[in-house]
Amino acid sequence: MSILYDEGQQAIATESRRILEARMSKDALLPLLETTGQYHSGFWDTAKEQGWTALALPEEYGGLALGLVELGLIAHQAGRTVSGAPFLISSFGAAKAIELYGSNRQKARWLPGLASGEIIGTVAFAEGPDALPTRSQLTFTDDRIDGTMTGVTGGLAADIAIVLANGSGVAVLAVAELGNVQSTAVQSFDNSRCYANLTFANAPAELLASGTPARDAALHILALQAVITAHEQTGGAEAMMEAARDYALTRRAFGQVIGAFQSVKHRIAELYGFVELARANCIHAASRDGAADFITAAAAARLSATEAYDTAARDAIQIHGGIGVTWEAGLHLHMRRARSLAIEQGNSLFWEDVLVDHLLGEIA
Amino acid sequence: MSDLEAYRAKAAIWLESMVPTFGKAARKSLSEADDIALARRYQAVKFEAGYAGINWPVEYGGQGLGHLEKVTFDSEEMKHGFPNAYFGISLGMPVPILMQFGEDKIFVKERVLKALRGEEIWCQLFSEPAGGSDLAGLRTKAEPDGNGWKINGQKVWTSWAQYSDYGVIVVRTDPNVPKHKGLTYFWVDMKAEGVTVRPIKLAGGDSHVNEVFFDDVKVSDDHRMSPVGGGFAVAMATLMIERYVATDSGGFGPPLDLFVELAKSTLIQGRPAIEDGRIRQQIARNHAMRAGLNAITARAMAMMQAGMTPGPEGSLNKLISVRSRQKLSELAIDLQGSDGFAFDDHASQKDNWTSSWINAPTGRIAGGADEMLLNTIAEKVLGLPQDHRPDKGVPFNQIPA
Repeated sequence: MSILYDEGQQAIATESRRILEARMSKDALLPLLETTGQYHSGFWDTAKEQGWTALALPEEYGGLALGLVELGLIAHQAGRTVSGAPFLISSFGAAKAIELYGSNRQKARWLPGLASGEIIGTVAFAEGPDALPTRSQLTFTDDRIDGTMTGVTGGLAADIAIVLANGSGVAVLAVAELGNVQSTAVQSFDNSRCYANLTFANAPAELLASGTPARDAALHILALQAVITAHEQTGGAEAMMEAARDYALTRRAFGQVIGAFQSVKHRIAELYGFVELARANCIHAASRDGAADFITAAAAARLSATEAYDTAARDAIQIHGGIGVTWEAGLHLHMRRARSLAIEQGNSLFWEDVLVDHLLGEIA
Repeated sequence: MSDLEAYRAKAAIWLESMVPTFGKAARKSLSEADDIALARRYQAVKFEAGYAGINWPVEYGGQGLGHLEKVTFDSEEMKHGFPNAYFGISLGMPVPILMQFGEDKIFVKERVLKALRGEEIWCQLFSEPAGGSDLAGLRTKAEPDGNGWKINGQKVWTSWAQYSDYGVIVVRTDPNVPKHKGLTYFWVDMKAEGVTVRPIKLAGGDSHVNEVFFDDVKVSDDHRMSPVGGGFAVAMATLMIERYVATDSGGFGPPLDLFVELAKSTLIQGRPAIEDGRIRQQIARNHAMRAGLNAITARAMAMMQAGMTPGPEGSLNKLISVRSRQKLSELAIDLQGSDGFAFDDHASQKDNWTSSWINAPTGRIAGGADEMLLNTIAEKVLGLPQDHRPDKGVPFNQIPA
C-alpha cells in the first residue's frame, strides 16, 4: 500500500477537518470535564452522520470498506480538536474483533449497528497496568461472563464489549452484552471518555476465539486500535505545536515576540521533530495492516505518538506562561487527553515490551 | 519490479562484487596512504561501471540519471564500508558548483572527469576561526593585485585539504559594506605558492580536517566564480546542492541489531541485559526513532518518484539521529562495564560503540550544528522570527570584533 495519500484520502482529511473545526469548541468541551458520564453528543452525531463509524467496516454489513489510512486521517483531525467521545476507536476495535474472528451470524447481528453507530462497542482487556492479562479475572462459562473490569473506555455508554476471559483454563475472546451489566462511572481527569467499572454477573456472551489464537487476536485488535489512537495523538500534538508557535508569534516580552528567543523557538522546533516522527510512523503503520511487521509498526507509531502528545501538551502550556494554566484557555483539555490516550490501548511500558519481543523474534 | 528497484538490485549486485577488493576487511590495517591509494582505484572502477556522477550531465562524464538513482546507489553503497569518504566533499559540493558556475568549459570538463575518476580531489574552504555557523562573518580577504587577486587569511575544518588538488573558497573583497555583501567566490589551486595545509587531530584521533593558511596567494581573475560582492549567493547554492542525500537513521553509527546482540550477550546481576527493562526501553525508543526517520525517507523517495517535492521534515534526520546515536553509544559502553574501557582508534564508528561515541560530537557540529538546524526548522518551517542580529546592515569593518 502506498505511503502517499491519494486525492480521495486528502479529501477525507480536508473535509473532516473543516467539519470538526466548525462544530467542536473548547467551550463545549470544558463543562464535560466537571460531570461524569457525559460525552459531546455533537461529535458522535457528526461521526455517525459523516459515515466515520462505517468507514473501515465491510460493505456487506453497512460499511464503506476503507481502512486504517482513512480512519487514521479522521482520527488525526479529531485529535486536533480534542474528540468529544471515545467511541470512534472503541467501536472500531469491537467491530474489527467481530469482523475478523466472529461467525457470519455474529457479524450480521452486530456489524450493521456498529457501522451506523446505533450500537456502541468497546474493548475491555486491561487490568490496571496489564493491557493484555495472561489470566483474566473474568470467567466464561456456558456463554456467560462473570467478574469485574475497571476503567473501561466508553464503558458507561457501550452496548457490547469485547473481553478476554478465562474459560476453564484457556483464554477466551468473547463479545459480551452489557445490557444487564452494572456499570459505575469512574470520576476521571478526562470525564468525556466515559470510563466505567463493569461488573458482569451472568452476562450473556458469545465466543469469538479461544486458546492461543484468542490472545493473538486480542493483541491484533489492540494494535489496530493503537494505530488509530496514534493518529489521534499525533493530531493533538500537532495542534499543540501550532498553538505554541502562534502564541510565540504574538506574545511580546522584552521588546520582541517571545518566538525570537532561542529558548522558546528551539523548544517549538523540537516539537516539530516529535510530531513528524509520530506522523511518519503512523502513516507507515497504517500501510502495514496485514503485513508481518504490523505489530512492530503499530508499536513504533504508538510510542512516538504518546511521546509527541505528552511533550507537545507540556511544552505548549509552558510557552503560554500564566495564561496556559487557566481553565479558560483550555490547553489542559489537550494535557488531559494526552494522558488518557497514553493509557487507553496499553501504556508505553506495554508497547515497549511488545516491540522488543517482536524485534527479538524478527532478528532470531 | 519498478525501474528504481531494478536499478537498486543491479547496483547491489555490483557493490557486493566489489567487497573482496575494497570492502571493510580489505581496508583493515591499511595505512592512510595505502587506503587513499585504494580509494582512488575504487573511484576509478566505480566510474568505469557507470556509478560515478550518477545524476550529473552526460557531457561532463556523468550518467545523466536522476536524483533518485543517486540516493538509491548511495544507500546501497553505505552498507559496505568502501573507501569513498575522501571524495565525499569533492564530488558532493565543489565539483558540482564548478560545473554550474565555472566559465571555462574546457577546463571545467577536464577537472570534472579527473575528479570523477578519483585522480583529483577538491575541498571546500568556507569555515574560519572567526566564522563557522556565521559563515558571512569570515575574514580571509582577497585584494586586487595586478589583473588578478591576492588572498590572505586562514580557513579551518577543511575536510581532506591535505589530499586536495583544488578548492573553492569564499573571501572578503570589500570590508566597507555589510557582511553578506562584501564576499566573492573563487576556485584556488591548493598546490599554489603561499598555501599551507596543517592537519588538525580530532578528539577521536583521526585528522581528516585541516587548517589552511593563505599568504599572498595569487589568483587570476578567471578563478572568480561569482560577481565581485556576489559570493554569498554562490556559497548558499553550494550548500543547497546536497539537499536530498542518502541518510542513515542510525546517525552514521552502528545498527540497532548490534546493540541488541550486545544486550543478549551481557549479564546484569546474573540475568541477560535484554531482559532488563531499562535496556529494553532504550531499544524500543531507539527503534521507534529510527522507524520514524526511515518512514520520512521512504515518503520523500516516493514523493520524488511521483514528481513531487518532499516536505521539510527530511531536515530532521541529522539532528535526531546523531544525538540518539551518541546516547545509545554511551549506554553500550556502560553496558560493558569494565570491559568497556578498551579502545581501538582504528575501529569503525559504524560497528564499534566506543568509536561511535567518541566521534559523535563531530557529527553534531559538522555540516550544521544542532542549534543551527533548530534555528532553520524554527525559522524556515515554522515561521518563527530570526534571532536578534546586532551586525545586521552594519558595514563589516564597523562590527565590534
